[in-house]
Amino acid sequence: MFRSLSRQLATKASINTPSKLQDVVIIGGGPAGLSLLAALKSSNKTKHLKCTLVEGASLDPIRNFGVNPPPEYTNRVVSLTPKTIEYMRDKIGNWNFINQERVNFYDTIVAYDSQDNEARIKFDASTIGDSVLAAMCENLNIQSSLLERIEELNLNTMDPEQKSILYDNTKVVEITGPEVAAEHELPYIDPKEGEPDLDWPTVTLSNGESLQARLLVGADGFNSSVRKFSHIASRGWFYNRFGVVATVKLQYEDYRSLAWQRFLTTGPLAILPLTDNNATIVWSSTPELSELLVSVDDAIFPHLVNAAMALEETDLSYIYSLLKKNPSDMNAVEEIKWRMSRVDSSLVDEGYPLPLESVVPRSRARFPLKMAHADTYTAPRVALIGDAAHSIHPLAGQGLNMGQSDVASLVSALEDGVTRGLDIGSTLVLEQYTANAWPSNHVMLGICDKMHKIFSTDWPPIVFFRGFGIKSLNMLGSFKDVIVRALSGR
Amino acid sequence: MLFSGRHNKRVIHSIRCSRSFRGFSTTRRAAHLANSSNSSDEELHHFSSLASSWWDVNGPQRILHKMNLLRMDFIYSNVRKHLVLNSPGISEEEGVYIPPYNPDLLPLEIRNQILEEQEAKRDEILLENKLNVLDVGCGGGILSESLARLNFIENVKGIDLSPDVLKAAELHKTKDPLLNSSKKLTYELMGIESVPKSDEYDIITMFEMLEHVNYPAQILDEALSRVKVGGWVFLSTINRDFISWFTTILMGEHVLRIVPVGTHSLDKYINSTEIIDWLNNNKDRSSRFSVLDVKGCVYLPAYGWKFTDCSNVGNYMMAIRRDI
Ligand SMILES: Cc1cc2nc3c(=O)[nH]c(=O)nc-3n(C[C@H](O)[C@H](O)[C@H](O)COP(=O)(O)OP(=O)(O)OC[C@H]3O[C@@H](n4cnc5c(N)ncnc54)[C@H](O)[C@@H]3O)c2cc1C
Ligand SMILES: C[S@@+](CC[C@H](N)C(=O)[O-])C[C@H]1O[C@@H](n2cnc3c(N)ncnc32)[C@H](O)[C@@H]1O
Repeated sequence: MFRSLSRQLATKASINTPSKLQDVVIIGGGPAGLSLLAALKSSNKTKHLKCTLVEGASLDPIRNFGVNPPPEYTNRVVSLTPKTIEYMRDKIGNWNFINQERVNFYDTIVAYDSQDNEARIKFDASTIGDSVLAAMCENLNIQSSLLERIEELNLNTMDPEQKSILYDNTKVVEITGPEVAAEHELPYIDPKEGEPDLDWPTVTLSNGESLQARLLVGADGFNSSVRKFSHIASRGWFYNRFGVVATVKLQYEDYRSLAWQRFLTTGPLAILPLTDNNATIVWSSTPELSELLVSVDDAIFPHLVNAAMALEETDLSYIYSLLKKNPSDMNAVEEIKWRMSRVDSSLVDEGYPLPLESVVPRSRARFPLKMAHADTYTAPRVALIGDAAHSIHPLAGQGLNMGQSDVASLVSALEDGVTRGLDIGSTLVLEQYTANAWPSNHVMLGICDKMHKIFSTDWPPIVFFRGFGIKSLNMLGSFKDVIVRALSGR
Repeated sequence: MLFSGRHNKRVIHSIRCSRSFRGFSTTRRAAHLANSSNSSDEELHHFSSLASSWWDVNGPQRILHKMNLLRMDFIYSNVRKHLVLNSPGISEEEGVYIPPYNPDLLPLEIRNQILEEQEAKRDEILLENKLNVLDVGCGGGILSESLARLNFIENVKGIDLSPDVLKAAELHKTKDPLLNSSKKLTYELMGIESVPKSDEYDIITMFEMLEHVNYPAQILDEALSRVKVGGWVFLSTINRDFISWFTTILMGEHVLRIVPVGTHSLDKYINSTEIIDWLNNNKDRSSRFSVLDVKGCVYLPAYGWKFTDCSNVGNYMMAIRRDI
């Protein structure tokens, strides 16, 4: 894909074909990239900037979602914090275009431990004076609203130069730039008057075009090509865990607006409420178990989730072992039903989520979990946002929200840069973004990483302290408030 | 971040090496040099390294680059604050609402709406009446470039007495197509006294330069005589360095005509009030100019520049306006 990311071979392309000059080139049309484009074009200070966004995949599924949404929920559903929603409503302006029938607000998360059912903690938005903790919303819904907002902004823009340009089905073939910039220094000034040899990075696209960017933004996800180009190191690790997502139907609609999370030693399992009797699940587990979870029959999977929310881990191991031998073994369902009937009935109503009735066919997917954080988000003429800058364990549902706060910080840094008449690709402008966004993301990544480690063990001393911790956490209002605030972005 | 000059040399060196195999542009450069007027290759290289060091934001001029953020804020906020939002005689419906009391007392939403409306009006006024700027002692053009990028600035003329830094400024200008393609930014080798008196400016800036001249008051006077009605002189300098010139040379030698150079003790803290006094103690000046803002500023290594409450110590910025 990338013939070469080396800056050494830089000059050829830019000499042969004249590149189109752009103020901002965004690589990646995920939630982060689209949000940045829409936010820049919505701000009075930055809307004059010439912007192009390049997306490797097709944007058609996103466009179709707006016109003709699929009947069932898609499986990439994210939890939006009130802060994110506020930003989308007041600054980006895409919240109006969200399909509200497919958004579900909830106010409480009940978290409990597989090793100690008494260890329960309730994160409740009302404890910090909010009425909602978060809203569940499909990735596609968000992206579609952003696309519509960008189209609206384009319609309202008279100057054709200032309309945003979107390329989809277009890959980045090569990124080149002046070699010294890699060392975070100002590139050489060539003493040729009147014949500028720009120090702007050049992006060669699969459609044959090449763009030269005052500011190149990497919104290109975990494997960011922009990050590699700018030699920004990213540190992190794979957890040797996989996340399994699925859209499921509860036996009936839960009016309590509760989200559930159970910490199993293999990883947390969360059931997040959608509208009507829909819900989405995120189940983090070992590589083997996750394979099992995507391969068992549609008829068995809901029972497996019900079991995993309530039964002891020894029971679960036994059931997994049956299914490993035969992923269609209906005996496993009988085993589950029998064992579930022995769970303390006083807890069943209040203490556990509503049982699942079914799983939406083909909605299960599996992906590796990792934690990664770039050393910095900026280099001369380069900024990273979203997953290109950081990947987080999904257990706190913060991935997309962190990307939104990146966008907010970057836009505000660029606004200040414009007001101050600076070159917005200069590190003088960009360093403010890293300074504002990096530390809080680092804290969030750290919390989730530690939570993952603490909860993925069955070693008794840890389980004891974990249970004790959860119980005392539940009573210690103020510390819990801190966590609720962090999770809801306040 | 601490980057030294040595570090900078390394950059230049590494580029030299890399250039040796970029035969194409070397030839092109040679061709260009052949018809450029009496500047040698070495000279150009000298200017180039000067330009790179002046413009390396992590290099020797980092402090100036960081200060530039604050002075742009200073200029921007003063210019905007003193715009007349409603021209006299305009009806209440047509004009922008200006509450007769502190808007912070209003409910948040209403307050924000009022302020937003006022900001929009300010943008509108500025875009309709774009300003022209003379940047005196522009150096490598750090401030000139920033001002030239603002949408409410019509044009910027940077002047300096050093041909070297002006070359550097010219070279760096070509690095931004926005500045290079428009005619907004020009540089000229001259002192302010050589700027024709008929050229009047909305804004004259003299940042970090008064401490380098022998007769600061005279230079300031030259600036004042080229400001349009309602226009501004923005300056910054350092109290300690400045007083030695201001008190000894101007106040002592030229105003009071009693003190020879060096009489005043240099360890005495110097304050910006001297400029203010100088303005106010002369009827002609005081009747036409007002000092509308003075702010001290201080450099905090890990943070950058920050305004202080005290304009009598260290660096400060001043905004002088020619009364309407
Ligand atoms: C299966 C799954 C489930 C998740 N569940 C949750 C959840 O429940 N809650 C939550 O908050 N977060 C969740 N996340 C994380 C969340 O989806 C991400 O944090 C979020 O999508 C990041 O947005 P982004 O725009 O930064 O990157 P991405 O969404 O990864 O978008 C990057 C885009 O860049 C494009 N691209 C990449 N390289 C190039 C190139 N060279 N040229 C052109 N285009 C390129 C890609 O096609 C893609 O569209 C999940 C992630 C995954 C993978
Ligand atoms: C410290 S630099 C400041 C440059 C620029 N104003 C800035 O702050 O970015 C001082 C500059 O003032 C110039 N200078 C000194 N005396 C001058 C004079 N009498 N007229 C014009 N420029 C002068 C110097 O050549 C030098 O470039």
